[in-house]
Amino acid sequence: MLSYAPDESLAHRLDPRTKLLVQFAFVAAAFAHETPQGLLALSAVAAVLLASAGLSPLSALREFRYLLPFLLAGPLVSALTLGPPWVVVADAREPALASYRALLVLFVTAAYVRSTPVRDTRAAIQRTVPGKLGQFLGMGISLVFRFFPLLLADLRRTREAMAARLGDERPVTERIQRTAIAGLNRAFGRADRLSLALRARCFAWNPTLPALRFGRLDWLGFAVAAVLALWSVL
Amino acid sequence: MATSTDGVELVGDETAKNIARAALFAALMGAFGFVSFPNPVSPAPVTLQVLGVFLAGIMLGPVWGAASMVLYLAAGAAGVPVFAGGGAGFGSLLADPTLGYLWSYPVAAALIGAVVHRGVSLRDYRAASTPLLVGAMVAGTVVIYAFGMAGLMLTLGYGIAEAFAVGAAAFLPAEALKIAAAVGIVRSDAVAAA
Repeated sequence: MLSYAPDESLAHRLDPRTKLLVQFAFVAAAFAHETPQGLLALSAVAAVLLASAGLSPLSALREFRYLLPFLLAGPLVSALTLGPPWVVVADAREPALASYRALLVLFVTAAYVRSTPVRDTRAAIQRTVPGKLGQFLGMGISLVFRFFPLLLADLRRTREAMAARLGDERPVTERIQRTAIAGLNRAFGRADRLSLALRARCFAWNPTLPALRFGRLDWLGFAVAAVLALWSVL
Repeated sequence: MATSTDGVELVGDETAKNIARAALFAALMGAFGFVSFPNPVSPAPVTLQVLGVFLAGIMLGPVWGAASMVLYLAAGAAGVPVFAGGGAGFGSLLADPTLGYLWSYPVAAALIGAVVHRGVSLRDYRAASTPLLVGAMVAGTVVIYAFGMAGLMLTLGYGIAEAFAVGAAAFLPAEALKIAAAVGIVRSDAVAAA
């Protein structure tokens, strides 16, 4: 599971807003330069960004293994043709480049997720998106972060209990129904208790935000983002 | 620190309740992605995420259902591992081949909610007829797969036939199961909250 890990790496010391900027500039550059040369240069950038977060390309690849069938299917399906010669390798070129580009962007995202605590991203979003929308997103993100593991554990216990009672021999629709109903009841029960607790604690639209500060290192990040952004419009 | 000292703007009772529900539903949606069932008609396993989209539209309505899906996307972007296979990060919303499915969730939830509640204001979803529920969910499924295929075409350069073969054909039969399950859940009196 891709998640934050505490560390002292270069990326860990940057402001989340700088890292977001680098990420967006990288995506823009990757979409603007979908050529072998362009992607080769971006591979080097992605490798540096991964290293700056203390992550190896192999462990990043492991995080996205569920996507590999999609990424491999593209070139394979495109190379196949109905009728002789059956396989046209040249047709696979564009989809293969596109798959590789998607992989590079996911590497950069992995570096961000690994080096940024969720509360920092929450603060960055809440400061950047104005008004109540920003507040809503910020509060929502922290609530999802808090409750996701609990609901996951709820569902796991439900399935274990079903299996212990031979429930896993019932038809699929019925199992889906029972699992979902248990999950919904837990979620709504938790939501009702949470909203009561929030109101009891003066749940407000304008709470004090977590502190975020740009440091000297962030200039380095800005420079990388600026170069990537410039390159994507050239 | 951005401390506001000129006053406290409290969140209204009804809104607080809706925010809590939207956030919990978004978290449940993430948890649903980790629950997989064997698919009786195809080798691709069934996760419950699309069922989560259906239920968000039906139970929370078009506005808060869509808001809950937006929270799901925002939380995933911020690094909570709620996307398929435990993925997370902004890159998943910008260049992941499956980004189309993700972006479709708020739209599909809003559409399903608007059809079932026949407008923006909430009605009792239990009173909705079965054809209406099924029709709403079929429309939602069309939106999800149209966005999903568009995403595959955009990120991986697929043609429409390839996008359908890779991104929809293997999964569509399982959606019928989820629609049947969703109707059963709506008709069941085991769900405590209305």
